[in-house]
Amino acid sequence: MIPMRAALLLALLPLPALAQDPAIAPFAEETGPAGFSHSFTGEWEFMVGGGTAVFDCNADSRPDIFAAGGTAPAALFVNDSTPAGPLSFTRQAAGLEETSVSGAYPLDIDGDGILDLALLRVGPDRLMRGLGNCQFEDASATWGFDGLDLWSTAFAATWEQGATLPSLAIGTYIDRAQEAFPWGNCTPNHLYRPKADGSGYDAPLPLEPGFCALSILFTDWDRQGTPDLRVSNDREYYKGGQEQLWHVEPGQPPRLFTEQEGWQRLRIWGMGIAQEDLNFDGFPEFFLTSMADNKLQTLAEIPAKGVPLPRYRDIALKSGVTAHRPYTGGDLRPSTAWHAQFGDVNNDGLSDLYVVKGNVWAMPDFAKDDPNNLLLGRPDGTFLESGDTAGVASMAQGRGGALVDLNADGLLDMIAINRNEPSQLWRNTATGLGNWIALDLAMPGPNRNAIGAWIELRRPDGRIMQREVQVGGGHVGGILVPHHFGLGPATSAEIRILWPDGTVGPWQTLAANAAWRLEPGRDPAPN
Amino acid sequence: MFKGFAATLAVVSCILAGSAQAGPRDDRAEVLGTWYRMILELVRHTPTQTPPVASRAFAYTALIAYEATASGSNRLQSLAGQVNALPPAPPREDGATYDEDVVLNAALALAVEVYFANTGPTGQRAKAALSKQLGALTAEGVDAETLARSQAYGETLARAIIAASETDGGAVIENMGFPMTYTLGGEPQDWVPTNLIQLQQAPLLPHWGKNRPFTLPDGEACPLPPPPAYSEDPSSEFYKQAMEVYEVSKSLTDEQKIIARFWSDDPMLSPTPPGHWVAIIFQIAERDAMPIEEQVNALVRLGMAVSDGFIVNCRDKYKYDLLRPVTYINRLIDPKWQPLLITPPFPEYPSGHSTQSGAVAQVLTAVFGDPFPFTDSTHEADGLAPRDFPDFWTAANEAGISRLYGGIHFRAAIDLGLDQGACVGDYVNALRTWK
Repeated sequence: MIPMRAALLLALLPLPALAQDPAIAPFAEETGPAGFSHSFTGEWEFMVGGGTAVFDCNADSRPDIFAAGGTAPAALFVNDSTPAGPLSFTRQAAGLEETSVSGAYPLDIDGDGILDLALLRVGPDRLMRGLGNCQFEDASATWGFDGLDLWSTAFAATWEQGATLPSLAIGTYIDRAQEAFPWGNCTPNHLYRPKADGSGYDAPLPLEPGFCALSILFTDWDRQGTPDLRVSNDREYYKGGQEQLWHVEPGQPPRLFTEQEGWQRLRIWGMGIAQEDLNFDGFPEFFLTSMADNKLQTLAEIPAKGVPLPRYRDIALKSGVTAHRPYTGGDLRPSTAWHAQFGDVNNDGLSDLYVVKGNVWAMPDFAKDDPNNLLLGRPDGTFLESGDTAGVASMAQGRGGALVDLNADGLLDMIAINRNEPSQLWRNTATGLGNWIALDLAMPGPNRNAIGAWIELRRPDGRIMQREVQVGGGHVGGILVPHHFGLGPATSAEIRILWPDGTVGPWQTLAANAAWRLEPGRDPAPN
Repeated sequence: MFKGFAATLAVVSCILAGSAQAGPRDDRAEVLGTWYRMILELVRHTPTQTPPVASRAFAYTALIAYEATASGSNRLQSLAGQVNALPPAPPREDGATYDEDVVLNAALALAVEVYFANTGPTGQRAKAALSKQLGALTAEGVDAETLARSQAYGETLARAIIAASETDGGAVIENMGFPMTYTLGGEPQDWVPTNLIQLQQAPLLPHWGKNRPFTLPDGEACPLPPPPAYSEDPSSEFYKQAMEVYEVSKSLTDEQKIIARFWSDDPMLSPTPPGHWVAIIFQIAERDAMPIEEQVNALVRLGMAVSDGFIVNCRDKYKYDLLRPVTYINRLIDPKWQPLLITPPFPEYPSGHSTQSGAVAQVLTAVFGDPFPFTDSTHEADGLAPRDFPDFWTAANEAGISRLYGGIHFRAAIDLGLDQGACVGDYVNALRTWK
């Protein structure tokens, strides 16, 4: 038997490559040269937050970056990068330069084809309407949106059946008036539903009890066609709390899943949710970030007939994604994980996992030098840490982040938003890896970006990877860009779309290494 | 819990905003209760405060509160000379005036600062806010010279005890108490990890049993016989005890489930098992308007009882290194069985809940008498209804059996753990606190 110290040291040494070890995708940090100069700043009220929203705000097919600033003004960076070239951004006044912003999510609220932005704040939230050319205006009043005066830390959106506006869920944190005894003072989350006549939003509906949410996500986890609302909560502050799953059925008040319905109590320092179908069974796995431990949940049982129960097995340990302590740098104290996102950085057809790390704020029991993780998926379902070999093992106090192709080369680049330190950008400089495809879903009507659709990709081995189109999750930030898939050596991809209204599109073979626009009833078109 | 103290805090700002009250007040009960309200939160929200670590923090904090109070009391005597390594309280200046509110507040503020130094940013902010509030409350109406003298005295007294505590073996906790190096026993009866958390693939605090106790003469005190001999034979006592856990779990009543959860006291999700008992003391103090001397007498005895209880308990846990019910039952009875409660990440025998609860019951019975009805509302904020008890041993026995209902202990660990606790309690009861 190997003593743990020895095992730990062995774990920190470079391991010989295994036959099935994935290719390392090297990254180059281009923060300075790219003109990405920004920090998420602040003290107690900004110990969480620091999200980024990545989306195309000027219709040039290049994703632009919005970054929360905390006590500093939020900032929009317009993408000037040339295809396959170095990253290049220009900070631009956009009408978004609010302070007290904790994070943001892009979505097209009014269905006008221009992405809007939900700004989450320590204070009243705002819905910012996109005007085009990366300009925004506060449309909260116009849309009847009451942003409340809370500490907002999570967001998700879905189009309920027949709705002309999205339903918005906003998660909140601590009652910040409670200075000496904040514990047990979580404020409610809220669900904003559109009025029946579509003229705006009804008064927010409290989702009580609130347990200090740091990530929420509408997810059709059981594939029944109606997303439920998954909430990841920070046990540091709640009393009597746990992770939550809400039924959100059209026309019905939200209600919590109960133990009688199979929901299992789980209490973690929940900070971020990432979803992906990792085992190609059609049901998503969930990665939940926390402290000193992270969870990778897979359904405990999928019945041959009927609906699965919301019971999950934690497969983080056997999958090698506990990411519970630094893997490099010598600080062996436990880790603190925030944003998480799946994506295929080496285009081998297997999802990888990006986790942003950073001490909460001078917590001596947790690592100060806490490198971000880039865990590469292996065919057997386990993951290989590549943060150090890929060049992205940032020791900064990370919070938000994103994996997104910023320079149209088919390779996912990387963003980390750091607290009280410069945020960072890395360009994926891999060459000679696998092929890829990017899919831009579009629909007529209010839900222009097909939120709630499922993308199916049939792999060469016949298994089908299924990905839900979502707005939410992560740590107080998200992306809305064409959906990227690595293809490995395949030169084409078989794709099918399950549209949110239940329409099943045809299987279509699309050429690799291109972005395609997919609309119901139309032929695919190069994007 | 702590309704009165919460109300006190609420009026602090009103008092400060109003006209100065003439003459000294005795706010020590409020000072003590408010700091302990904070301590119980910090224990819950500081990751290193696992139950043994918390028991040590409770013991030293109570010792500081006790010695600070005793130093100005004609009813209480110092525990120096009775408690291992406890230094004498510093002498007070002859003829000088001390404000006892300020002395106690200064001593407790420093104790909380030290024993909860590694809490997170919210805890640090809360400590600072409370220190400021109580500092202003206790200083009100006190002349500058007395204030400075009293403040310095309280801090000096606390520093001396803190310095002594640094050599007891429990002052430094790394990796949240989980060793970087650990070799599992490898025999069928030996403990193995019971969960999928990477950090907890090694057991918690394997060397805690070597810490210096407060009241026990040496590290061999309160020994236990070995648990029933490990056997996989269905006719063996060991198998029978495992079957009892399994069968009870299959037929748990609602009341038994409530009992299991009521005493679960998970670290990071509750004030921990020793904190649960501390909370009970303050509920009684509030109900009975206990004088400050009686409160610190009960607290210091309780603190040393739980701390010494965990020391001998950990010593024997690693001496016997016994596997948990979930391991045995999954191996031999039902591979899919899971207990109601989270199995703690360390060996089974004896039950820590039982040892420390037995120690507390022995001590509090001596302090308060028997019968002594009380209501335990510790977990109201977590949605668990208060429970009534006629006496402390009834509560301790329920705490013990709750671990069998929860599926995480065999009966022997509970029964003998309670006995071990009573033995520890007897040492604490031998201390003389009243003059």
